[in-house]
Amino acid sequence: MSDTKTLTFAFMEPPFESERTVTFFRLLDAALDRGAGVRVFAYEGAVALAFARQQPHGNAVHHRDSEEEDHPLTKDWIAALQEKARSKGIGFEWINCGLCVDERGVNDVIEGCGRGGPPDLWRYASEAHNTLTIGTR
Amino acid sequence: MKVLQVIDQAYRTTTEEQDDTILWLTQSMRGAGGDLMVLLSGHGVHYAISRERQPALTLGTWRQTQPAELPRDIANLVESGVPVYAIQDDLEERGLGGLALQNGVRPVARRAVAELYEQADQVWHW
Amino acid sequence: MSHYLFIQSQDPFTETRTHHQFDLIGQLHDAGHQVAVLLVQNGVTPARRGAKSDLFDDLLLWGVTVRADQFALAQREIDHADLKDQIGVADMDLVIDAMLAGHKVIWH
Repeated sequence: MSDTKTLTFAFMEPPFESERTVTFFRLLDAALDRGAGVRVFAYEGAVALAFARQQPHGNAVHHRDSEEEDHPLTKDWIAALQEKARSKGIGFEWINCGLCVDERGVNDVIEGCGRGGPPDLWRYASEAHNTLTIGTR
Repeated sequence: MKVLQVIDQAYRTTTEEQDDTILWLTQSMRGAGGDLMVLLSGHGVHYAISRERQPALTLGTWRQTQPAELPRDIANLVESGVPVYAIQDDLEERGLGGLALQNGVRPVARRAVAELYEQADQVWHW
Repeated sequence: MSHYLFIQSQDPFTETRTHHQFDLIGQLHDAGHQVAVLLVQNGVTPARRGAKSDLFDDLLLWGVTVRADQFALAQREIDHADLKDQIGVADMDLVIDAMLAGHKVIWH
């Protein structure tokens, strides 16, 4: 990421709970569109965004099976952004707060998502061009 | 880089996390060399007048042994050199204006918050 | 003079905290800083023409730059023409550009 500016995002919202999640992912996507490297520190419930065992499901109310329903999963959104960053040759890093992972039992995360702690957030923020934090309520 | 941590909520997960997660995050980042300030606003001002340990939760046969110690966490921040402010107007709104603030916590008028924002390079609103 | 961008997800109909948030935005604006607001999520609801929020309308009166997220507007079937005067439509690139320009970008 030496030639690109890097932006850091700290996020706390768990998947499937709040509109904030969609806004947050749209921000990451927009950052990549602008050619900015992205670093994410997922805190508290947000560590489940990368949980590898998320499963799509059918929906009887919608009269669609699993394939037809094509249910959105945040782990797939992360993977899609990782792929987009790779194709553009820019960085996309993701660190989950390790203690937050342990207490929720969501240790099994998709490839490319690591484990760390608050010092990593400070390092990310110190090295980044700018940082945005999005808490939860 | 100086960061202002704005803590606008209180008691969100203090029982199960046994601390306020942003106070904890701030202490940890301070330990990593972070140059930080804290502004307690909204319900967050309750932490400025907190004197006692949080109540221990009991559920069925389960009993909490280590409830949060918010006064300790505020004191640790102050002792580590992190300025901690509480909005006086928010204290007064909640009937807390007449209570003594924890040692080291500085009251700030709402009209002066903009100046506090100017002292920081980044403002992280939680 | 500093540049601020507030991402306003809270709305004055359900969140009383917006009162103080809008006050702070006004104070920074009055102090001569460049202040902009991007309404997102339910934060766009007071932007609709006819929506009744004096608190929000004061932002427009004060001359604060206000934009509304096109995705949130589309979800709520609010067209550009439905918005109060002075409110423009924007996307997430507004936030990224502000971050890349080194502005103070703050989530409400």
